[in-house]
Amino acid sequence: MMALPKPLNDLFRPPSTPGVLAVFSHLDTTLAAIKQLRSAGHTDFTVYSPIPRHEIEDALGQPVSPVRAFTLVGGIAGCAIGAWITLWMSADWPLVVGGKPVGSIPPYVVIMFEMTILFGALSTILGILFNALFAARRLGTILYDPRFTNDRFGVFVPAGSDKVAKVESLLREAGAEEVRRG
Amino acid sequence: MAETPSPTTPTRVTYDYVTRTIARTLGTPSRGYFLLLGAAVALLAIGIITLLYLLRYGLGLAGYSHPVYWAVFITCFVFWVGIAHSGTLISAILFLFRSGWRTAVYRTAEAMTVFAVMTAGLFPLIHIGRQWYFYWLIPYPNERGLWPNFKSPLIWDEFAIGTYFTVSTLFLIMGLIPDIAAVRDLATGWRKKLYALTSIGWTGSNEQWRHFTRGYLYLAALATPLVLSVHSVVSWDFAMALVPGWHATIFAPYFVAGAIYSGCGMVITLLTPIRTLFGLEELITVKHFENLAKLCLLTGSIVGYAYACEYFMAWYSGNPTERAAFWYRAFGPYWWATWTMIICNGFLPLLLWVKKIRTNITALFVISIFVNIGMWFERYVIIVVSLAGEPFTKWTNAVYNPTWADWGVMAGSFGWFFMWFLLFVKNFPAVSISEVKEVLPPPRSKASRVHA
Amino acid sequence: MTDSLDRRRFLKVLGVTGAGAAAVSACGIGPEPTERLIPYLIQPEDQIPGTATYYATTCRECAAGCGVRVRVREGRAVKLEGNPDSPINRGRLCARGQAALQGLYNPDRVAHPMVRNASGKFEEIDWDGALQRVTAKVREAQGKGIVFLTGAEHSTFGDLVDEWMKHVGGRRLSYEAFGFEALRAGNRMAFGTATLPTYDFANAKYVLSFGADFLDTWLSPVEFQNGFSRAHAFDAGRPASMAKFTYVGPRLSLTGMNADEWIAAKPGTEGLLALAMAQVIMSQHLARVPADASKLVSVLAMHAPHAVSQMIGIDEETIVRLAREFARSGGGLAVAGGMATQAANGAEIVAAVNILNYVVGSVGTLVKFGADLSVGATNTFADLTALTADMTDGRVALLFVHGTNPAHSLPGAFQQALGKVAFKVSFSSYLDETAASCDLILPDHHPLEQWGDSRPRAGVIGLQQPVVQPVFGTQPTGDVILKLSGRSGTFLDYLQAKWRARHAANFDQYWMDSLAKGGVYGEAPTRPVRLATTAGNFTTTFAEVPSWGGDGDQTVVVFPHPALHDGRGANKPWLQELPDPVSKIAWHSWVEVHPDTAAKWGLATGDFLLLQSKFGGQKFPAWITRSVRPDVLAVPTGQGHSAYGRYAKDRSANAFELLGGQATVYGGRAFIVRATASKTGEHQRRIATIEGNARDLGMGTTEVLTLARAKALHPGDHPFHFEETPEYAKEAVEWWAERQHDKAEIGNYKGEQPRWGLAIDLSKCTGCSACVTACYAENNIATVGEELTERRREMAWLRLERYWRVDEHDNVQGAVSQPMLCQQCGNAPCEPVCPVYAAYHTPDGLNGQVYNRCVGTRYCSNNCPYKVRYFNWYNYAEKDGKYEAFPEPLSMLLNPDVTVREKGVMEKCTFCVQRIRGAQNQARLENRNVRDGDIVTACQQTCPSDAIVFGDLNDRNSRVFELAGNPRGYHVLAGLNTKPAITYLARVVAQDTPGNG
Repeated sequence: MMALPKPLNDLFRPPSTPGVLAVFSHLDTTLAAIKQLRSAGHTDFTVYSPIPRHEIEDALGQPVSPVRAFTLVGGIAGCAIGAWITLWMSADWPLVVGGKPVGSIPPYVVIMFEMTILFGALSTILGILFNALFAARRLGTILYDPRFTNDRFGVFVPAGSDKVAKVESLLREAGAEEVRRG
Repeated sequence: MAETPSPTTPTRVTYDYVTRTIARTLGTPSRGYFLLLGAAVALLAIGIITLLYLLRYGLGLAGYSHPVYWAVFITCFVFWVGIAHSGTLISAILFLFRSGWRTAVYRTAEAMTVFAVMTAGLFPLIHIGRQWYFYWLIPYPNERGLWPNFKSPLIWDEFAIGTYFTVSTLFLIMGLIPDIAAVRDLATGWRKKLYALTSIGWTGSNEQWRHFTRGYLYLAALATPLVLSVHSVVSWDFAMALVPGWHATIFAPYFVAGAIYSGCGMVITLLTPIRTLFGLEELITVKHFENLAKLCLLTGSIVGYAYACEYFMAWYSGNPTERAAFWYRAFGPYWWATWTMIICNGFLPLLLWVKKIRTNITALFVISIFVNIGMWFERYVIIVVSLAGEPFTKWTNAVYNPTWADWGVMAGSFGWFFMWFLLFVKNFPAVSISEVKEVLPPPRSKASRVHA
Repeated sequence: MTDSLDRRRFLKVLGVTGAGAAAVSACGIGPEPTERLIPYLIQPEDQIPGTATYYATTCRECAAGCGVRVRVREGRAVKLEGNPDSPINRGRLCARGQAALQGLYNPDRVAHPMVRNASGKFEEIDWDGALQRVTAKVREAQGKGIVFLTGAEHSTFGDLVDEWMKHVGGRRLSYEAFGFEALRAGNRMAFGTATLPTYDFANAKYVLSFGADFLDTWLSPVEFQNGFSRAHAFDAGRPASMAKFTYVGPRLSLTGMNADEWIAAKPGTEGLLALAMAQVIMSQHLARVPADASKLVSVLAMHAPHAVSQMIGIDEETIVRLAREFARSGGGLAVAGGMATQAANGAEIVAAVNILNYVVGSVGTLVKFGADLSVGATNTFADLTALTADMTDGRVALLFVHGTNPAHSLPGAFQQALGKVAFKVSFSSYLDETAASCDLILPDHHPLEQWGDSRPRAGVIGLQQPVVQPVFGTQPTGDVILKLSGRSGTFLDYLQAKWRARHAANFDQYWMDSLAKGGVYGEAPTRPVRLATTAGNFTTTFAEVPSWGGDGDQTVVVFPHPALHDGRGANKPWLQELPDPVSKIAWHSWVEVHPDTAAKWGLATGDFLLLQSKFGGQKFPAWITRSVRPDVLAVPTGQGHSAYGRYAKDRSANAFELLGGQATVYGGRAFIVRATASKTGEHQRRIATIEGNARDLGMGTTEVLTLARAKALHPGDHPFHFEETPEYAKEAVEWWAERQHDKAEIGNYKGEQPRWGLAIDLSKCTGCSACVTACYAENNIATVGEELTERRREMAWLRLERYWRVDEHDNVQGAVSQPMLCQQCGNAPCEPVCPVYAAYHTPDGLNGQVYNRCVGTRYCSNNCPYKVRYFNWYNYAEKDGKYEAFPEPLSMLLNPDVTVREKGVMEKCTFCVQRIRGAQNQARLENRNVRDGDIVTACQQTCPSDAIVFGDLNDRNSRVFELAGNPRGYHVLAGLNTKPAITYLARVVAQDTPGNG
């Protein structure tokens, strides 16, 4: 990892969280581990996977991402802004062209549409970044293994020194090919 | 997403294989690569020099001849915007349709989109008479209290192209992040630094995936109407004018179809060499090409139908100017351009009905080249020929001929496009790592399928 | 500020003649004045910088002697306009006249005296030195033959030259390349007088021209066009007064294409036709034939239609019909000239036409002898051939040349003869062919820089005064001659002395008034003439079609170019870029070939044709047209200069090369020769023309009505397609007008908004193109040169589109010329597509074009159905640029009221918005609203046929409002609902078929 200037560092590299990281080479074993963890009452553990799998989502039973709200708000705002700049700017410098009304809606619809898309997309991106970053802040800096972006699945369970042993055994039984403390 | 192994990818391909094969494409470039890159840069240089001449002496250096006031530059503009379209189509629309085969090709298509729009965007700036005042088209607050005219299709263009560029770029970057993370975890040295930075801390945690997948879905949902709107707006540059041959309601769908047609052509043109150069035969299979060919066939047929409509309407409307315009188009001094376009876009795609041709990559490559040529000429015919033969003002009946300046700038645009594309494929995964994996069966400990 | 001056203000201005110059020298232009200037009579408030001053003077571009008013701004002459007081041009001016400015500020003028040194090169010399040389030369040449060659110079200057020549024992000859010997000989033959009459076109009821191009090059074009359009125009409402115009000639000239009917008689047989008609008229008693005409009966009998129709190539019925029409009209005017009179038998053709006029009693009423046009006083071509002979035989030791360029119009013989003359002095202000082969050049002032006068006809004396300081180190030849003849005083003194002799009483006042009016304008009494005894003595040349000089199977007709004339216009870019009204070709010469002939030879437009006559050969690009007889090839003069400045030199071919040097029986020059034509294989990439294939009529662009149909129209009729503005657009425009109205409180913004409009009567427009040049001059339009004209990049805001009228067999009957300029549409397609509002709608209904705001997307032009927007592809004002349009000092004639457009911006006609605003400001100063007629656009002002009327369409009392309501009125492409502000009045053709093809 590279060094970041201080403010960014605080933002992107929250204080590290102690816990256990398990590496799985199979999807089904990962799912099993998730089930057992949840039944054992663990809530905010992290699951790593090289690709998004709906089985994992289902197993975790998380709520739908709030990103859609961002998209909606952005889109509406964009549309409004489109309407505003076209109509206001026409009125601010009123010139008749081609015998058309100074503020003629039909041509402005095009602008409004494009602005809807533009702002919708931008706020969606912001939504993703914001939410992901927020989640990261909540979890703190946790263990990670480069293989997770290739072909391995992983589970990180935050655990204080008291629970570590129990979690380790749980994960092993679930079929982890490797378990690490951090 | 597709649970069963997709027919497009053999099962012996594992996650690891995918990661490594694609990561390999980022290895040290071969001599051939540098030759290609050099050629692209050389073309770009030609373009830049020509542009400097145009700036110094004026647009007169180009072939413009009253009343042909738009010509090769606008032709190239529409051509490149068109190229851009298939990218978003494949990545967004097919994504919404959940068609698995897109995964192997969409990254290339998407990159192509971004660079094509980057290229297209240059032409409106190059073609205006006083290039140094291009910013007057932008609605920025100024002490003179002047604003642009939002009734002008050119301003619609500016907004459409601007939005399209922004959104498709973001879309590309979003899709890239997980893959960059993947290559980051394999890479070493400066590349590792680069990827570490550009993957903005992607780990593939469930939280990230959760927001990512949602966001990606909405981006796709936004990009879909956008891609349809952009070329409609471009077509309205012409349809909103009263020039016979331009002033037609059919233009929007006609242009969109043409755009996707040309785009798919370009995708095939680009994929064929990449596939062999980077040894991606396992991932990008004949099946992918066949599907692209089918898209070409579909859109090509729509384009052909549109041509037929135009001529039929010209005749059926009984409008003398309309008739004169299309007669001039087909049998005037520019018959060669018109017939090139009709053959390349109207008849050539019909070959793709034949499975043998559809599945023969060499044949497809050749056809795709002609598709590109044909579509360039389509724009040339619509723009130049309609203006030259404008029957309102038959007195002019100009004979327009492009000059070195026109060709120079056009060559430059190709250089510009290929330079960016080549740089991209060597530095970022040209095939989506994570999405290709998505269509693979996930690794399981037990042979039997267990549904969680 | 360019509002037309009312008389009172004008009179105030004129005290300042030379004094204008005094004020000018303050502006540091030119050296200190050389003559004593007339002091101000009144403090001239008109000398405020930014305010134009007008001076009356006389146009010297041709011998017609039109009066002009020069618009001077800060000491620079910026525009020439017709002088309303002049009885000749009545305030109108042709393209050539207006282009005189480019002669004044021509970058290729000879700036100093030049002498040919030992090595044969010209080198500069000071005036004293030059004059000493001449004095010496005169002394040694005395007795050995001294000749002073001038142009048509019927003036005090001419008198001075004559005096001086008498003094030194020399003689003066005056030479015009296109002389009127045939006319004089013909008049002598018919009426026993060798003078030239004036022709009253205005009161003619039927005009029949035998090759006389009275609208472009014949005698007094502006005057004749003005009169002709009065007679030929169609006036709705009251009973139509339209006079039919029939043209007889081998090709259609500008004049010919305005004809209602074209009789393409075999060249040289025009006289036969005239006699045949006269015979019909007399034998059928169609008119009250003067008694003394009876002695012609026998002669005419020989020329009865059945006898001659074969030779003429026109069937009997037509001849008889023409005779009937002509006689029955009760005011038939037949004129002969141009092609017809430049044939070997020209004099007899004129005589025949005179007889035709005589038998219908038009001589004395419409053909008025007594004016004695001065062009009739020039020496004949025979005199010049004699001179050439003398020069060749060394009988001329010293030759002075002034105001003529024989080396160009007589390339062969004269050119060689020049070499035999010991010493040759040219007074030319340009290095033309003649000057180039002289030993000494004493550059003369331009007519706009010096005093002078001219007597174009009896009763009319045009005064000529310096309106600007001399641009170069030239000196008026008048002064020079006075110095040479050792006399004191300047030419002004000499001039005033002559005038004082004419009118001693209260001379100063007389002089002032004359300067004010621009001269003395009187009417010469009509001198009655009777048939001469020689009237019937036609030689046998009428028995067969005359055989032209030279051998070869083709008949080649050489005709004067309407703008370049004999070539003197070739150094003026305005005239070079002005497309020929008929062929629409600019910047180069051409040969007219009939399609049938072309098909025979496998010739395409642009292919080069080598014409080889006995006297010389030249190559011309072919222009294939039906406006010429199949058995005739026609070539214009004017181009092919070997010198004469950057605009003329080495451009195309000189048609004079084809012509012989011998005089005809009547002492004139034959402009029809036999020659062989052969393809050279070369091809001109593209003919430099503003016209591709002219649209057929009946496309809603150009409307033509038959006389019968037009007569049937009642006020309120709308025979042509019309469309109204939709409600929403009306509202929008009114809302806008209202809004502006609140803001603007000046001039006629008070009260109702005007809507500026134009009415153009196609029945009056002849296509003479004077308006085009006026537009160039008024609006600083750049000339782009031949290369760019080929690429269709000419900038003419106002162009004349020429549409053939053809019969069912595609034979051309004539043409309709349509001025096409920005229509200032109410719903302008150009406006909404502009992304930056550079094109927008002004509250008074103009399509504003804000040059500073334009970024040059050119969308407006694409969307303009009239294609009247023009783009600056290069910076035409760039100093020493490849396409520089105004090289110093040409830039001096730029109109300060109009910007010079930058590279990369769109420009177009604005209805001379600077004149509109000027008039509005003036109105505001005088605290009144603008009156109808206050604003006159440049094109309207100069139009010799008064075809264009400008005004406020919202003013129910304005002329333009009345015309816009005319039943003949229509809007071009009205179907597009662009609501143009220009109403065209359909052309009316006095024929059964309008010729819509």
